[in-house]
Amino acid sequence: MIEIRGLSHRFGGEVFAVQNIDISIAAGEFVSIVGPSGCGKTTVLNIVAGLLPTEQGEVAINGTPPRAGRHDVAYMLARDSLFPWCTALTNTEFGAEIRAEPAESRRRKALALLEAVGLKGFEDKLPKALSHGMRQRVALARTFCLDSQILLMDEPFGALDAQTKLQLEDVLLQLWASMRRTVIFITHDLAEAVVLSDRVLVMSARPGRVVADISIPLKRPRSVSDLQRDPHYHELYAEVWEKLEEGMTGMNTRSISLA
Amino acid sequence: MLITLGRLFFLFVLCALWELVSIQQWINPIFIGRPTQIVRFLFDGLFVNYELVIQAYWTMVSTAAAFILGSAFGILFGFLFVTYPLVEKFLEPIFDGLNALPRIALAPLFLLWFGLGLASKIALGFSLTFFIVLSSTVAGARSVNTDFLILAKTLGASPASVFRKITLPSAVPSIFSGLRLGLIYALLGVIGGEIIAAEKGLGQLLSFLAGSFKTNGVFAVLILLSFLGGLLTYLTSKIEARLLRWR
Ligand SMILES: Nc1ncnc2c1ncn2[C@@H]1O[C@H](COP(=O)(O)OP(=O)(O)OP(=O)(O)O)[C@@H](O)[C@H]1O
Ligand SMILES: [Mg+2]
Repeated sequence: MIEIRGLSHRFGGEVFAVQNIDISIAAGEFVSIVGPSGCGKTTVLNIVAGLLPTEQGEVAINGTPPRAGRHDVAYMLARDSLFPWCTALTNTEFGAEIRAEPAESRRRKALALLEAVGLKGFEDKLPKALSHGMRQRVALARTFCLDSQILLMDEPFGALDAQTKLQLEDVLLQLWASMRRTVIFITHDLAEAVVLSDRVLVMSARPGRVVADISIPLKRPRSVSDLQRDPHYHELYAEVWEKLEEGMTGMNTRSISLA
Repeated sequence: MLITLGRLFFLFVLCALWELVSIQQWINPIFIGRPTQIVRFLFDGLFVNYELVIQAYWTMVSTAAAFILGSAFGILFGFLFVTYPLVEKFLEPIFDGLNALPRIALAPLFLLWFGLGLASKIALGFSLTFFIVLSSTVAGARSVNTDFLILAKTLGASPASVFRKITLPSAVPSIFSGLRLGLIYALLGVIGGEIIAAEKGLGQLLSFLAGSFKTNGVFAVLILLSFLGGLLTYLTSKIEARLLRWR
């Protein structure tokens, strides 16, 4: 459960980066946030992660304010940020190890997750021996290896090429289907947002506000390639696209006409 | 292969020419020595009277002591600086001043304090190695990928495990390049100290041989030193390659 009420944030007394954000996410829900670059997506996520202070408004995660390091929250960055001196397996275990999970159970989980992300046989490889996509698979496995109920992901596939990205979306869909986490997923890729999410939130250009909340009632389990043939998917995609465009231009013209 | 042969041939021709110039006294042999005599001196010193072996032993002992102490304290202070920036702020001007000093200038003081024995050479080598390893440790520990630190923060990692699991391994490559340089400088400091004043060591032998115009011996010691320096560098890069396989 994540509740965000009237959240505003500015950096160093400048104009607002995000303004008056209300978001409510139920347990087990997969929510994507899309919006133009610089609209404050990362800012919102970092506040929820406890990496930035909550200045105005309220944020509650399972009823308590955000704090970096709480065990019910896991954070995944855009870059794979694997340790080059650790193998795929030890990288996968890293978070669980830091959170003092017993060696045996975390090892078992890490092995199963590496298999689930399609890296069986690569457990002992160092990151330098893995491709971009494989490294991001390890990063996914590392994130799911934590028992955190809430996952915060900031454009985790942003740096991948189009094909690899589609593969990883499928991997994430499967992991999510089997482990059911509450996810906030930030992306620039509208197709990705629609494919993965239960809801897509669209933010306007700076100062960022939530301008649309579109639910994605596509049935699960989903697969990226099946969805391409689903007309409903394309309708939803078009809807998100429209809202995004409104958020980028419409808001500005409206505020000008009001003035 | 061909290049190696070419090199050997070139070296041979050079030595032959050198030998000729020396025998014919086109240049006074006191200045340039004679290759065959140099080889002879090397051979005797290494296998017959062991003079070179004994002196090399003392030099190596001093170098090892200077290197080990210098790098241990360098790494220690490096991490201390990174962990407690206040300590760095406090000590920085003093350390900067010492580091700016041409270290050989400390030799007379060290002789006064520690006498003619090994200790004054070790101190000189230490004074060089310490600062090199210190600055490479600080640079390495500061070069940690900030993504790693963000990750650790969101995981709730303790400062101790951040240090052990992230800062330390991140700093290892930089520390190693400091160690490699530090070893050569430990040797430099020790030899310098021995040349200035000592009872033992290759540096002392060198200055004695030069002082008594035994040019062949001087060249023999120089060749041995170059070999030892090369050997040390080779060994460190071997160790480095093993420890840094992940690079
Ligand atoms: N540390 C900071 N100091 C000052 N301004 C900042 C800082 N971080 C972000 N900003 C500003 O806040 C705004 C929102 O930034 P944020 O990174 O949240 O955007 P974003 O939506 O994640 O963008 P992108 O899609 O490009 O990642 C931007 O205009 C940015 O310039
Ligand atoms: Mg961002």
